[in-house]
Amino acid sequence: MNGFASASIAEVVRTEGGRVVATLYRMTRVLDVAEDAFAEAAVVALERWPVDGLPERPGAWLATVARRKALDMLRREQRRRSKEDAAAAALDALADNEPLTWSTVRDDQLRLLFTCCHPALAPASRVALALRVLCGLTTPEIARAFLVSDATMGQRISRAKAKIAATKLGYRVPPDHELPARLRSVLDVVNVVFTTGHHAPIGETLQRVDLTDEAIRLARLLGDLMPDEPECLGFLALLLSTHARHTTRVGDDGELVLLRDADRSRWDHDAIAEARALIERALRAGRPGPYQLQAAISCVHSCAPDFASTDWNDVVALYRILDDRWPTPVVRVNRAIAESQVHGPAAGLQLLDSVAGASGWPFFHAARGDLLERAGRRAEARDAFAAALACEPNAVNRRLIERRLAALKD
Amino acid sequence: MAQFAALIYEPKDSRLEPTNPKFAEYMGGYGRFGEQYGASFAGGAALAPPETATTIYVEGGEDGDVVMLDGPYAETKEFLGGFYLIQAEDLDAAIAVARHIPAAWRDGGRIEVRPVWEM
Repeated sequence: MNGFASASIAEVVRTEGGRVVATLYRMTRVLDVAEDAFAEAAVVALERWPVDGLPERPGAWLATVARRKALDMLRREQRRRSKEDAAAAALDALADNEPLTWSTVRDDQLRLLFTCCHPALAPASRVALALRVLCGLTTPEIARAFLVSDATMGQRISRAKAKIAATKLGYRVPPDHELPARLRSVLDVVNVVFTTGHHAPIGETLQRVDLTDEAIRLARLLGDLMPDEPECLGFLALLLSTHARHTTRVGDDGELVLLRDADRSRWDHDAIAEARALIERALRAGRPGPYQLQAAISCVHSCAPDFASTDWNDVVALYRILDDRWPTPVVRVNRAIAESQVHGPAAGLQLLDSVAGASGWPFFHAARGDLLERAGRRAEARDAFAAALACEPNAVNRRLIERRLAALKD
Repeated sequence: MAQFAALIYEPKDSRLEPTNPKFAEYMGGYGRFGEQYGASFAGGAALAPPETATTIYVEGGEDGDVVMLDGPYAETKEFLGGFYLIQAEDLDAAIAVARHIPAAWRDGGRIEVRPVWEM
């Protein structure tokens, strides 16, 4: 085995997958060909690398083999049908043996990311497509993450691919004047990838690190593309700061650990320092956006040495701007929790009463229960926690809420 | 180059009669759109109002009886008022033209942009 395990080969193949597929898509403009060619190359890699050893540049090796596979596929296709025009251009692009530069590879991925996140595609399809095409997840994996059947997800992905092909959906990074509008959709998609990994919505596990890692990789790519776009930097800062704390979200017993109880020495302080530097740089541009504000809030928590020394005034001030300019129920509930730390539970409860459309959301009821308990209204607190359980939270959250409810019944 | 159909859906009552004093202004918007973007048109037509539509199907195979229904296929708040065929590199380029169709930005209309199937 030449000193490396087959698991690590599979890992290399998977992480290179997104890059290789993006490049092949640029050359062929057919997503299925790009994916199939890469899959064939991956099979060759999994056979050869354990025998021959890992190539010096595995990504380049895979790209070369996949390019040859795509060339074969398109030639077969061209012989079968007489339709030549589009295929001929693709064949030229594939036959060109120029080695790929890092910047080309990076640009290919960015273009494909913008294609997958095009606003002409349904939001659910954008996320699914990005996970499939750029992150190399299988359709069943994506289906599990979004709680739909394999068939539904397969259909969603193939429908999106068909639309991309039929509309020749822009395979390019949009021009500067369109970038702010288009960037939002891209950041939202990558954010869903991240939060899907960070809060697995049901089941026994709370996190899927493969998804959070992919999201951070894509966020870094966007940061490289737009180093002057503060919202991009803020977004990366948000992911880094949130992810830096992931090791303490669940205790050794598998139970959820609240921020106040987390062992902060186990946080990734290098990542926190990077996040902090990024958000400070972003905010200096003077163009705050929702992700920058969320990153700034996250960094206030990450940088506090312990829960007691959290600067709640800062947190409240940031939430007020966020709630004022980019209001969502989630922001309002989080602001209520922050306000209660500064102005007491009654102030928080008053804000919660103004949240609309959150009655099916367990976190809303759990936050209410917490504030009611702190306000000494135990009977109402019990009702709120019971309402949270009725919303069927994931197993880890459910056990936490059950413990709170049990404590209130004593 | 591909072709995209830009199907124009207008709210009922948004279309003005030729006797309306604002009719010239209403049609002028389409005239200006044509002057500006006509180079990318591959075709198109304005349709007479939906009340003039006849919806048909044939019962009993191709040689069977034609059944006719008075009115458009679907009775909705918006009606298909016309369409343009736009020649464009990709969807983004087609949208860059279609967004200037007057119904898209005034009159409360909607434009459905669909690729023409290349056969």
